Amino acid sequence: MKTAAKRAHRLDRTASPRAIATLLLACAGANASAADFLDQRRVEPIQGDVAAGAAKAVVCVACHGPNGNAIVPTFPKLAGQRAEYLHSRLSEYKHADAKLPYYAASPMPVQAQALSEADMHNLAAYFAAQKPMPSPTAANTPPGETRGERLYREGDSARGIPPCQGCHGANAEGGPVAAGDQYLVYPALRGQHAPYLSARLSNYRAGWPYRASGDYIMAGVARTLDDESIQAVAAWLAALPPQEQH
Amino acid sequence: MTCRFIRLLPLACAIPATLAHADSGIGVDTWRGNKLDPTAGQANEPCDARGTTWLAPLQRRSPTGNLYNCAPESPLAHEIGEWLYYGVLQVGYIGTGDHDVASWNRYADWRNGDPVLGLLQVNFERPSDGSYAEVRASRISSDDQLYQAVFGRAGAYKVQAFVRDMPNILSTNAKPIWNGVGTNNLTVPVGLTPGASTPAQVAAASAAAPTTTLGVKRSKQGLSASTYLSPEWTAYVDLSEEERKGTRAYGGPFFFAFAFAGPPFFLNDGGVDETVKPINDSTININGGLRYAGAEWRFDFSYSGSFYRDKYTSYNYQSPFKLTALPAVPGAIAAPLYQGQMSMEPDNDYHNFRATATRKIPWNGEISLSASGGRMSQDDTLIAPINCQGVFGIGFGNLQLGPANPLLMDCSKWNTTDALSRKTADMRIDTSMVDARIVLNPTREWSLRGGVKYDRQDYRNVYLSYNPLTGQYGYPSENGAQGSIVPGELGLWDPKGAPSALTRVRSLPLDIQTIDANVGADWKFDQKNTLSANLDYNRYEPTNRERSQIDASRVKLTWVNRSLDWLTLRVNYTYLKQTGNTYDFDPYEHTFSSSLPGYIPPAGGTPSHTVDAMRKYDMSSRDENKIDVMATVMPRDDMTLSASVRGDWNSYDAQIGRQAYDTVGATLQWDWQLATQSSLGAYVAWDRSRLGMSNVQDKQGGSGVDPSLGGPNYALTGQWWTTDAQRDWYAGLTFNHNIGRARFDLNWNYLYSRGLTDYSYAGSSALAYPASVSDAGPGGGAFPNMVYRVNSITAGVTVPFTERVSLRLFEYYERGRISDWHYLGFDQGLVVGNRVYTDTGPQSYKQNLIGMLVNVKL
Repeated sequence: MKTAAKRAHRLDRTASPRAIATLLLACAGANASAADFLDQRRVEPIQGDVAAGAAKAVVCVACHGPNGNAIVPTFPKLAGQRAEYLHSRLSEYKHADAKLPYYAASPMPVQAQALSEADMHNLAAYFAAQKPMPSPTAANTPPGETRGERLYREGDSARGIPPCQGCHGANAEGGPVAAGDQYLVYPALRGQHAPYLSARLSNYRAGWPYRASGDYIMAGVARTLDDESIQAVAAWLAALPPQEQH
Repeated sequence: MTCRFIRLLPLACAIPATLAHADSGIGVDTWRGNKLDPTAGQANEPCDARGTTWLAPLQRRSPTGNLYNCAPESPLAHEIGEWLYYGVLQVGYIGTGDHDVASWNRYADWRNGDPVLGLLQVNFERPSDGSYAEVRASRISSDDQLYQAVFGRAGAYKVQAFVRDMPNILSTNAKPIWNGVGTNNLTVPVGLTPGASTPAQVAAASAAAPTTTLGVKRSKQGLSASTYLSPEWTAYVDLSEEERKGTRAYGGPFFFAFAFAGPPFFLNDGGVDETVKPINDSTININGGLRYAGAEWRFDFSYSGSFYRDKYTSYNYQSPFKLTALPAVPGAIAAPLYQGQMSMEPDNDYHNFRATATRKIPWNGEISLSASGGRMSQDDTLIAPINCQGVFGIGFGNLQLGPANPLLMDCSKWNTTDALSRKTADMRIDTSMVDARIVLNPTREWSLRGGVKYDRQDYRNVYLSYNPLTGQYGYPSENGAQGSIVPGELGLWDPKGAPSALTRVRSLPLDIQTIDANVGADWKFDQKNTLSANLDYNRYEPTNRERSQIDASRVKLTWVNRSLDWLTLRVNYTYLKQTGNTYDFDPYEHTFSSSLPGYIPPAGGTPSHTVDAMRKYDMSSRDENKIDVMATVMPRDDMTLSASVRGDWNSYDAQIGRQAYDTVGATLQWDWQLATQSSLGAYVAWDRSRLGMSNVQDKQGGSGVDPSLGGPNYALTGQWWTTDAQRDWYAGLTFNHNIGRARFDLNWNYLYSRGLTDYSYAGSSALAYPASVSDAGPGGGAFPNMVYRVNSITAGVTVPFTERVSLRLFEYYERGRISDWHYLGFDQGLVVGNRVYTDTGPQSYKQNLIGMLVNVKL
């Protein structure tokens, strides 16, 4: 046993020491928890002013593309995404510790700092109302069932991989809201850029980020995925035509 | 190889065993703890404010509104390659005073100053594939310890093994007079002569006998495994073996020592010996099966087996007392018997096969069909009817066998298994069951259910008590003592010598067939109210009982109301009516000698076995009304107040027998969880039960023929009534609080249980000793209260030194005050006339236990 290889973890939450420190703070008590831990397990539907959101989104489209349809595939498409998810992500960035590696590499904490709660509602409502456009990679997807589709629909019990559709919907349109309000923040994945999806899954596997309750779910899932599986799922999801339902 | 090593083999096997797949939800005795760790490692864990799951909102309350316990904080884990591990080691000392009190040590082997292993638990987990392993151990002493090992892979397989020793101390102040305690041969000590000692001599031997602890140690080991054969199919097997070794106080009859005289009442005709029974047996249990869980169908095929083996078939004991024939019989001489025997529980086997199929059906429903067949059998070697030497019975003028002494029997014709009609038990009960159920949920508002169950037990053999050596039927009663004291009461029927003797000669098969049918519905008529109704019908068809058919119908109504956010109200009402066909007060005639060819009724006729008005409680017609009202109040988000009242009133259609059995009770409980820092709880409960019954004394000394109540034998002046009233109070307080990093805990529990038996009678002839009262008319009285009162309090503090090391100091105080009139006077000696007792009974006590345990997170 190499001493250097030993690290302390809160079980089920493999993470970097920084993340553990955050987690320990989150465990310290109810008040500390409210400040340091974003609980996404009880979510209220978001209402916002689309027009106000459009005005505020001028900065956003520089990266996320016109109407939230990002051109650069490492930036997520926001058009048609669930408003509750978008609001939750903005809130996460706004209250994030910018020194943590995941957030330090992103311009979003800085951008979100300036947003009020109303701004975040409006931006979420605006992008949710936009029409998502197909991903350019869709045409490259081979016909018939792929490994990515199998993983999404069935998982792989031998490797402990749960099926993605359990949380993100049978058609990757987002969590089944009828099963509980918390599913409002489970994002739609169909038509999303494959490089972005791959990067998110890889980050989760590395233990980033650890800010919201949903992060802990995805960290556990991502630990079961190898690079090939991540690429396969991401490619299959990106190839799906986007669905306007949010 | 030592026995201990053999017992640890399952643990050793559990580690390297390799199975392809298994299920994680099946196990052997899945909850194992001891008095030092009653919660099996779950207590005193810090709370995790994040709850139990990321997948659902925090649920602080159950659907009925009760607060859940807080989720324990996740352990701090280390990493070794792909594996994470975490654990805790809790070691220390306990100090306690005089521990020779059975009630204090009932299920814990506290030993002053001995080091204890409170808990050793180490868990390994590999997140990449869900593999896990766990070792857990706790040891208070060599008689009170447990070890278990588990490993598996989530969704694939699970293997677990355990070894557990648990004491059951029954008495710490017993004074058996016999040599050989713990064996199957008890002999009287030097100074006493078997069958010829006086009460004074026995009393001296009892006083000189050393104080002994009687108790049973249970040692259990088990191994279980389960595996997924496919995503739908699961196979599982559980094996366990439990050994019991020790001693317990038991009987030893040589007929009444007081019945035929009075006053004075203690003439010392016979002998009553409280002997010591050796316990040395083992039980093997096996469960195994296959389960299928598909989208539409579920199947379960299982086998259960149990195998009991006792080292001893019987045990022998010597009685020190001299038997004396009734002085009213001129010239009668009692046989000098001194040797008795007790049969042990027979070795027996149990097998049961069960198959269940369940299918989803329209209307969001399910239908299931189960069938099972089983067999309970025992074929143990039978023991001889008696183990005396010489003769038993009564001689007139001398004890010479021959025509002049027809009431004297030759032991050599009875103390051999050749005196049995067969050498082994050869008994069997076959069981069969079919159960069909259906559940439908056609709408969100309605749920419907129904079921039919058929169950049957068939006895496959009977035993006829016949001695081919003598041609007699029956069984020498009381080790031959009864017939050596009362002329002719040998327990034997002889077609030539005693053709009118009435005695049991045949075993009683109790076959029964049961049919249950039930329908029910739940109606959620709005978002706040649910009504439920269930109708059950049971038909019992026993054989050789007072009724061949019993019908019980029960209706249960339930109302659940959640109209107010802060209140859940539940009300249940049940009405049951049990009736049956004609009641035969004496269905056991065929088991008596009076059913044998050649039986000649006595001159006055065959005595009745019992009174015709007798109604046994399980066969009697009965009306039952039962109501439960439960309210759960949530005055604050972190507080719950629960209250309940309940009542159960049973009225039996019996002039003789059980007449009423009523219980009422109430509880009040309060819980307050202040975030994760503190919790406070209190409860108080009260219940009362009353059991009323009546019987009648026969006036003709067992020879009365007329069974009618109010007749010459069972005259109404001989009727008596008794009421057992039980009243219990329970109360408790729990407080946990964190001050800084220290955690304080306080627990107080109180139990007060009082039993009072009072009686009344129509006339003094109802009494065993009518002459003991001056008035022949009605009367009554009560036995002294039976009181069991226990106060216990635990106060502890856990102080963390570092994140990994903490110290727990605790004090446990328990005071028990026990009053049991059965044991009154034993402080003056354990010998009363021709009766010798062994156990002096439960003792009041005050005990302190101080513990110091160091916790180290591994």
